[in-house]
Amino acid sequence: MNARSRPLRQIPALAASHLCHEWILTLCLVVALAAVISPLLVLLGLKYGTIQTLRERLVEDPVFREIRPTQTREFVPRWFDEVSAWAGVGFLTPTILPLSSVVQVVAREEGKNELFDLVPTAPGDPLLLENGAPVPAEGEVVITSEAARRCRLEAGGAITVRISRSRGGRSEQVEVALKVIAVLDPRAGALPRVYAPLSFVLDVEAYKEGYGAPARGWAGQTPDPYASFDGAVLLLAKPLFPIARTGLIINTGFGRIAEVSGEKIQELFGFLPPPGFAAYDLTAPGGSVTASNLQAVDQKLRGQEKVLLPYAQGIELMIEGEALPPIGLSLDGEQGTLLRVEPPPWGGNRGNLSKNGVLLQMLWPSAKPPAKEDAVAVSFAGMDGALAFNLHLTGSTSLPRPVVPVELLGVLRTATQRKVFFDKEMERFQMARGGFRGFRLYARSIDDVPPLYGKLKAQGVEVTAEVAAIERIRTLDRGLSRLFWLISLLSLFGGTSVLVSSLYAAVERRRRDLGVLRLLGFARWHVFFFPVAQGLIIAALGLVAGFGGYGVLALAINRAFSSQLAPGEAFCFLPASSIPLFSLATILLAALASLVAAWRATCIDPAEVIREQ
Amino acid sequence: MTATVTPMVSVEGLVKVRSQSESVFELHVPRFTVLPGQMVAVVGESGCGKSTLLDILALVMVPTRVALFRIDPGGGPAWDVAALWEREDEGALARLRRDSFGYVLQTGGLLPFLSVRGNICLPGRLKGAEISAGRLEALSRRLGIEGCLERMPLSLSIGQRQRVAILRALAHRPRLLLADEPTAAVDKTRARTIMEDMRHLAVDEGVAVVVVTHDLDLVMDRADLAYTFETEQIGGQTTRSVCRPLAEASP
Repeated sequence: MNARSRPLRQIPALAASHLCHEWILTLCLVVALAAVISPLLVLLGLKYGTIQTLRERLVEDPVFREIRPTQTREFVPRWFDEVSAWAGVGFLTPTILPLSSVVQVVAREEGKNELFDLVPTAPGDPLLLENGAPVPAEGEVVITSEAARRCRLEAGGAITVRISRSRGGRSEQVEVALKVIAVLDPRAGALPRVYAPLSFVLDVEAYKEGYGAPARGWAGQTPDPYASFDGAVLLLAKPLFPIARTGLIINTGFGRIAEVSGEKIQELFGFLPPPGFAAYDLTAPGGSVTASNLQAVDQKLRGQEKVLLPYAQGIELMIEGEALPPIGLSLDGEQGTLLRVEPPPWGGNRGNLSKNGVLLQMLWPSAKPPAKEDAVAVSFAGMDGALAFNLHLTGSTSLPRPVVPVELLGVLRTATQRKVFFDKEMERFQMARGGFRGFRLYARSIDDVPPLYGKLKAQGVEVTAEVAAIERIRTLDRGLSRLFWLISLLSLFGGTSVLVSSLYAAVERRRRDLGVLRLLGFARWHVFFFPVAQGLIIAALGLVAGFGGYGVLALAINRAFSSQLAPGEAFCFLPASSIPLFSLATILLAALASLVAAWRATCIDPAEVIREQ
Repeated sequence: MTATVTPMVSVEGLVKVRSQSESVFELHVPRFTVLPGQMVAVVGESGCGKSTLLDILALVMVPTRVALFRIDPGGGPAWDVAALWEREDEGALARLRRDSFGYVLQTGGLLPFLSVRGNICLPGRLKGAEISAGRLEALSRRLGIEGCLERMPLSLSIGQRQRVAILRALAHRPRLLLADEPTAAVDKTRARTIMEDMRHLAVDEGVAVVVVTHDLDLVMDRADLAYTFETEQIGGQTTRSVCRPLAEASP
C-alpha cells in the first residue's frame, strides 16, 4: 500500500458520489454529450454503411477488379513473373491470340457446331471462383451460362471441342472430349466461353499454328529452330554467264552476288576450291539466308555441276575454355568428289533439322589430337544465355579447324538472334516460346485497380478497367469523410465546451467541499483528479447513452431503407474497429476538457474556503 | 502539567501577517503548546486571529515567520512543520493531517454528497485504517446519532451535523482534534452538551483538543489551558494581536 496514493484511490468514488448527488445536473450533462455523440455516430455509420454497401456491390463482382489489355502485343514470360509479384495483383494468367482461341464445340446429341471462345484459367481465378465454379483441371472445362444455353448443357455434361487448322493447303482437325465441371453465373459474362487450363489452351494455339502436341497425340511440327546463314558460296566447274548470275539474285532472297577469292574460301571452309572452279559469294544484305533461299538457287542451277556452301561468320564454340571458330560443312559423296574434299560422315546439307542427334557431331583436326576420345562439352553464347551441349567426335579431319554440320552452325547463328534452348533429354535444339499475346489480370481489391491501371499504362501497356466506377466511390468516400470531419470538429467544440464549463462550474460550486477534502488530508495533486474523474465518468455515461441513441437511429434508418438493401447490407453501420477508437477519442477529449477545472481545483486554498457558507 | 511530557504541539515565535487592501493584521504567538491528551481552548472575539491560528495549526496556512513549529503525534519521529513549509512539502503536510488530525468546522464541514456513514468513514479510508462497524456503532450511539448513519448531512439538524462532524474528526483515531467554533450555530444549552460530549470522547480516546471559541464560559471549566488574544491598533492601518495563555493575559 502506498500511503501517498491511498487518497487517490478514494477520488473516483468521491467524484461518482458527487455526480450522483447532483444527479439532475449530471443527467443533463450526459444527455448533452449524448446529443453530440449520437448524431456523430449516425453520420459515421452512414458514411461507412453507404460506402461499404456500394463497395461491396463492386467488390463482389470480380469484373470490377479486372484489368484487360486493349491491344494485342507480345508479353514475354518474364513480364508475367514481374507483374504477378506486384502488390495488389490477385490473379494473372497469359492468354492467346483472339483468333486462335475460337474453337468449335460439338454438343453431345445434336451434332450442331457452335463457335466458342476458349479462355485460359488457372488456380485462383476469381472470375470462376466468385461465380460459383471450381477451377478446371486437365480434361475439364467450365463454361459460361450462354455457352450452356446454346449447347443445352449442364454441369457434369461432356462437350467435344474440335480444333481445326489448315496446313500446307490441307484442312486438319483434332477433337477432344472434355468434361464440363461447372456453369458460371450469368454475371460472369454474356459471351459463350469455355474456360480451360492454360496448358490446354496453349496446345490449341500451337496446333492452330501448325505445331503438334505429342502428349495429346496431335500431329504437327515441332518448334525446331531454323538454320540461318550470313551467305553462301557457290562453287561451279564453269563460270556463269552474266545473265545467269543476275538471275540468281532475282526471287531467291539473295541480294548480292560477287566473285570470291580462293583465300576467302580457304578462310571460311579450310580448303581451296579445285583449280578452274568459279566461286561466287551470295549474300542477303541486312537479312539472313535460310534454307528456302538456298533451295531457290539450287532450283535455278538445276543440271549444272555445282556446290552451294552456306556459311555463318563469327560463330565461336567454347570448348574446354578455348574459343574455337568451327567450320560448318555438310557434303555428300558426290559433292566431296567434285571438290576433292573428304565428305563428313553426316553427308550433305538437307536443309531440315529433323535428323536427331546428327546435328551434334564434330570432326577434330588430325593435326591437333583432341583431349577426349568420344565427346566434347560445348558452350555457346546465345541471345538468351549460354547453350550447353555435347558434340560427339565421330572422326578426324584434315582441315585445320574442327568441322561441324553446317546445319548446326546455322542453328547457332539463329540462336544469336532468337531464343533457342537445348533440350538435354531429347538432345535437340528448340525455339523457346516467344511470349504470350495477352493476359487476364484481376486486382486483389478494387482499391488496387487504379494503381495497377496506372502502373501498366506507365509501362506502355494499353489497358482498360472499371476505374471510373471505383473512382466515383472513392470520391464519394473522400467527400463524406471530409464532411464527417467538419461536423466532428464542430461537435467537438460544442461537446468540449459543455464539459469544460460544467466541470469548471462544479469546482467553483464545490470550492468548500474541495477545501474540506484538503483538510481531511488530500494533497493538492489528489484534488486535481477530482474533476478529471468526473469528466471521465460523464464521458463514459455520455458514450453509453450516445451509442444507445445511435443504435436506435441506425435501426430506424436501416428499416427505412430496407427495400433497397440486399440481406446483410446496411445503410448505417459502424465497423467494430471504429467503436473503441471513437470511445478512446471521446475519453481523451473529456480528460483534456477537465484539465481547466482540475487546475482550478488545485488552486483552492482550504483556509480561504472552509468557512464559506 | 509536568515538564517531562513531550508536547504534541510546540510553537514558538510565530508571526502571521495578513494584509487586505490597506489594512494589515499581524498575529503574534510567542509560545503555544499542546500536551498529549490536553484540551486547549483558544478564546477571543471575532477578528482576533483565532481562526488564523487554528488554520496554521491545521497545516493549511503557512506562517509568515516561526522560530519553532513541531508536531509530535507520538509513536514516531516528531515533524518539523516549519521545515516542511520551507520545503513546500505539501504531500507530507497532507499526510500528517490525514494520519494525526481531526477537524471540526464551525458548520460541520460535512461533504453533502456523502451519507453520514460515508463522511465518517472517509478519514479512516484515507489513513488506510478502515473504521470498524463496532466502533462506528459505539461512537455514534454515544453521540446520539446512531439513527442518522444512512441519511445525507443536509437532512440533519445543525446539532446533529456537529455531532457527526465530531465523530468524523475522531473516528479514525487522530492524535489532535482541532475544533473551530464547533457550537457557534446551536443554542447555548445544546452547545454545552455538544462541548461536553466532545470533551468526554476526547478524554476517552486520549486525543488532545484545540478548541477555538468566542464563548469563554463554554470552555472555562472544561479546558486544561486557555489562550486568549490582546489586540491593539498600531498606526492607522495595522492591527497587532498577541496570543497569550489566559492566566498571563491582562484582564
